[in-house]
Amino acid sequence: MNYQAIRAAVENPLLTAFGSLVPAVPVYFDNITAVPPNTTTEYVRVNVTFGITNEPTLTSSVDNARGAIVIRVFTEKGKGPARNQTLITTAVNALETLNNTAKTTSGVFFRVGEINGPTFSATEDAPHFVGRVDTSYVATVLT
Amino acid sequence: MARDFKHLLNDLKEVVTNSARYAAVEIMNSLAEQGPAYSGQFSSAWYAVEPGQTPGGPRSAGNNIYKYDLRNVPRTKFRTGTYYEIVNGADYAPQALDLEEGRFQTQYDDAGNILEPLKTPVAVGTRTGAKRGQVSNGEGFAVSTAPLDWYVTYTNGGSMQRDLGNGVRIGFRQGPRGGTPSGTGFS
Repeated sequence: MNYQAIRAAVENPLLTAFGSLVPAVPVYFDNITAVPPNTTTEYVRVNVTFGITNEPTLTSSVDNARGAIVIRVFTEKGKGPARNQTLITTAVNALETLNNTAKTTSGVFFRVGEINGPTFSATEDAPHFVGRVDTSYVATVLT
Repeated sequence: MARDFKHLLNDLKEVVTNSARYAAVEIMNSLAEQGPAYSGQFSSAWYAVEPGQTPGGPRSAGNNIYKYDLRNVPRTKFRTGTYYEIVNGADYAPQALDLEEGRFQTQYDDAGNILEPLKTPVAVGTRTGAKRGQVSNGEGFAVSTAPLDWYVTYTNGGSMQRDLGNGVRIGFRQGPRGGTPSGTGFS
């Protein structure tokens, strides 16, 4: 099982999508401390988690993993939802491209499930308005 | 001996009801084990309810991770509905599930000593965000007893589907004519 390849299959399209925005929006992945929570700078946090690995399937492949992708978008609080929703749209579009990738003989075959959200929240203390989507995935390592 | 066909509908209802109950028990036990447990109260607040019903609060004051059985999902509750939701009745459930941000504080006993968490922490150190699970190891007193996004990982990562399948399997096995030799079914 190549967990790193699976993680890369999710993270690269998201990094590219947010990096190509003008201005580029920083994306923070697991085990990377994001910008200090008291700043109003907008950013995106992506968490990729693993659930069941090598679940027996009807196919001969057992090199598969299931898990979840949680994307949180942090934008300035008190400025309305528009900017947050714009960035959420970028995230959802990047996830949807994963489902359009054809199955090849090598690499990682990746499919995401239905996307939950977006949900939005803001607390009194935090300076950010937070948008959140999450989805399930099934990934098969083909090499 | 074969069972009269007239019993089929009632037996089927019985099997479906029990399958839902067993599945609820399997799922709630997994949620209790995989979720955060500082005092254990949160683990005791899972309920299977019909949509719109209000769940109760925590069933215990803590000190252990709650263990669910069929008594927590009474048969009468599973007869009227067509589908059920498993929800947590704790006031702070959205924060414990990492769905909303919150404010977290160190727990002290009456003597002012820091209370030890019931479950072995996955991280002890400094808080890196306003979500429950955003704690990184290092200096500090912030404690997380379940990984960030544990709930979404459970529901989306295949474990919940596995528990659902296990529950249904048990329900059919325990039901009328469950596990009977071939040729002794309905006629």
